[in-house]
Amino acid sequence: MRHLILGSGIAGLQAARAIRSTQPEAQITMLGREAEPPYARPMISQLLEGAVEPIHLDLGLPPDVRLISEDEAVSVHAAERTVATLQGRRLAYDRLLVATGADPRGIRAENTDLENIHFMRTKAQVREMLRALPQSRRALVLGGGLVGFKAAYGFLRQGLDVTMLIRSEYPLSQQVDPTAGKLVRDKLEENGLGVLVGKDVARFEEDGAGRVWRAQLTDGSVLDCDVAVIGKGVLPVTGFLEGSGVDVDLGILVDEQMRTSARDVFAAGDVAEHFDLARDERWVNAIWPEAADQGRIAGLNMAGVPARYPGSLSRNTIRIFDMDLTTCGLVNPPEDAGFETVQDGDAKKGTFRRLVFSGDRLVGAACVNRIEQAGVLRALIAGRAPVPCPKKDLLREDVHPAGLFPFFP
Amino acid sequence: MRQVVVHPERCVGCMQCMAACAAAHSQSGFLAAAIRENPLPAPRVHVGSGRYGEGFPNRCRHCDPAPCMTACLPGAIYRDRILNTVLIDPSRCINCASCAMACPFGVIRYHRDPWVSPNRAVAVKCDNCVHRQTQGLIPACAEVCKSGALTFEEPEGAMKRRTDEMARRTAGYVEQERIGEEAPGFMLLRQLKKRAIQLTE
Repeated sequence: MRHLILGSGIAGLQAARAIRSTQPEAQITMLGREAEPPYARPMISQLLEGAVEPIHLDLGLPPDVRLISEDEAVSVHAAERTVATLQGRRLAYDRLLVATGADPRGIRAENTDLENIHFMRTKAQVREMLRALPQSRRALVLGGGLVGFKAAYGFLRQGLDVTMLIRSEYPLSQQVDPTAGKLVRDKLEENGLGVLVGKDVARFEEDGAGRVWRAQLTDGSVLDCDVAVIGKGVLPVTGFLEGSGVDVDLGILVDEQMRTSARDVFAAGDVAEHFDLARDERWVNAIWPEAADQGRIAGLNMAGVPARYPGSLSRNTIRIFDMDLTTCGLVNPPEDAGFETVQDGDAKKGTFRRLVFSGDRLVGAACVNRIEQAGVLRALIAGRAPVPCPKKDLLREDVHPAGLFPFFP
Repeated sequence: MRQVVVHPERCVGCMQCMAACAAAHSQSGFLAAAIRENPLPAPRVHVGSGRYGEGFPNRCRHCDPAPCMTACLPGAIYRDRILNTVLIDPSRCINCASCAMACPFGVIRYHRDPWVSPNRAVAVKCDNCVHRQTQGLIPACAEVCKSGALTFEEPEGAMKRRTDEMARRTAGYVEQERIGEEAPGFMLLRQLKKRAIQLTE
């Protein structure tokens, strides 16, 4: 059996591991756009911060997996079971996994091709940022999402002056509610971050040697910067699937075995659109742990071992200086949509917890500090069962499995 | 293979397992000396209380597949196949707490630990007392438990006892008031605690 995996991220790697664990003889080929073998992508932020060395990111490959790097698919021919690549290869398969991930969204500003203006998605990009670090003093970060936040945090830890341009009043507005968001913003500002709300870059200006020197904002003001990071979200990489018979919405539509609409073609990771357990609708949750899970499930099914993926949840664990934050599910539900919110905090201890319910089901949770039990809340959200105790009991920072279920296993 | 089996109906919440666990994972290995160590040894089993004051020793289940293992960014969490134990390599752990979000039982903690990482906070959890088992000893929590809430035995045997008890109950051989006889006295204690809390509510 020939397995072809498009993408060398965690979804592709977990699929390769799952296939190898059940089919020792199968032929597995992995096609990766980057020059690197699989690595732990989220750790590029720790790399920028200087907390780890590049070697700590390496994940290795299962035995006998052929990795073709620096090449990517340009078209899929499901009828003949082949994939054509940019470098002119034609690869045949019996089972195909599309795990091509997502690409950063561009911005409309002028001169974004100057030196020292980066996306932050790959190890290579962070390596370039680190190379320019000794000459950098002022960093500009566009966007307050996860990537923007991690870039800003990394630069702060490296001792740069950092300014962040965001649309909402606080960073991570997709992940946190206003109260937790304010705590995040305060913690970052306390440590030297400059935050500008509602402003965007109109054009970057160069210093005469091709490097970025300053940025002109939409309101006409000017900001000096020697390095800039664009963190405006990501979009699934699906362009090469046109005409392949694989149905695509925002991401590739998959069923609970991670099958696409085309025969013997599977999809997993940031490129796949499955079902969100908290939102109760189709959704792309482009996060690493879900990509890992989806890859494993896809790999098992590709190897003929039936496995089911129940659905995904957005979630994040973030450490900001001495503050810990976890969020999961629907933390900011639409107003007047019948959601109930229970929250409590202790300013002295610096703790805060917010829970969102839909009827008697928990659908979202945000915790600031004392995050050890966050997984219990995540499991409750993922389980989609009525909460078996009074709702306010879940606010206890030591919420305990025993408190939730009598005779818990 | 023998495993630590939890019998929650027998837990009285005395927390001796926590003290024994911390001592077993201290530099000295003895409780009296362990309490003077820096960093202070911390337990890896956590006795919590339920809605009505029921004790419950919460301990790593060593799941297979383990969600913490899939979620670990640097690949620091692995399975020891011989002792069927999920372990954390402290030298690879970056203390990112991704595993906190993954563990449905909330059994992972983050701190300096005299046993594995005295100078840097890392993720710490139950290791089934691998070091004791290799010396022919049983896990410290099961050794110290006086009420039989933590036993070290073949899971199949424990499962069969539980199935038999359930079968006797549902078949109606046991009169209502004798339910819980497997754990005599414990049911009464639980009922008293529950009634006391319900009265104050």
